Amino acid sequence: MTPGHAGPAVTPDTLGIDAFGGADPIFAIADDVFAAMIDGEPGHLRTWDGEQPAVEDEMHAWVDVDGAAPGRVLLTTERDTATRITRALLMMDAGESVSDEDFRDALGEVANVVGGNVKALVPDPGALSLPQVTHEAPALDPSSLLYELPLDWRGAFLRISLWQLPTT
Amino acid sequence: MKVLVTDDSRVMRQIVIRTLRQAGYDWEYVEASDGSVALDMLGSEEPDLVLSDWNMPEMTGIDLLRAMRANGDETPFGFITSEGSTEMRELADAEGALFLIAKPFSAEVFRDTIDPFLA
Repeated sequence: MTPGHAGPAVTPDTLGIDAFGGADPIFAIADDVFAAMIDGEPGHLRTWDGEQPAVEDEMHAWVDVDGAAPGRVLLTTERDTATRITRALLMMDAGESVSDEDFRDALGEVANVVGGNVKALVPDPGALSLPQVTHEAPALDPSSLLYELPLDWRGAFLRISLWQLPTT
Repeated sequence: MKVLVTDDSRVMRQIVIRTLRQAGYDWEYVEASDGSVALDMLGSEEPDLVLSDWNMPEMTGIDLLRAMRANGDETPFGFITSEGSTEMRELADAEGALFLIAKPFSAEVFRDTIDPFLA
């Protein structure tokens, strides 16, 4: 448990990450979301192979789960990848212009749906926040990182991370 | 048949309507960006079914459902939301919702869930 944080400890075990017979439930959630909402078919998302690359022109989308052990589900990727995700969600053509409003809406919804499903893994969760989307990385204590899942979507890098938040 | 799709995300409203059409529901769709907007539209649009997100600013989906029932509006109501916990399903049922579909969804899930209520 991170010093300075009150309340029950949130660990990969309490999140159930290691309790799925070797399958990663966070990956299963992300795979479902991408297959159903973004790709229309399974098979285009896999775990990132090798060292994580530097993320340039990064975008961050997240939702917070309130409750006894508050946490954040954060999606990070490059703007270009987020734009491709937006086009896929809206069934737009490659190269078609994406409005900033749609871009933020789409990336936020991906974080929202992943977060809503991750919430189901958390013991005694509270309310789910509305999604936030920013260019700047949200301020988070590095020691509060609970779990990180690097992903490869059609050759592009993205990362889902789970963070413990201070109790109020 | 007219359906009022309520979600604060325009992208999600588009995906919901697209998936409903993929499921074979060739209905008329009207959209609301929030529970309070949906509540205002009910009188003029007179939908046959309301499909709503749960977590929205201004007015949540469950508050929309409560307000409708408090007004004597018994329009059939279903949730399409990113959360599908047992507690939320029980609350939705207790307040009179027909069903709760958790995101992500597919056309098959829509058919399996909605078809029984169309008979």
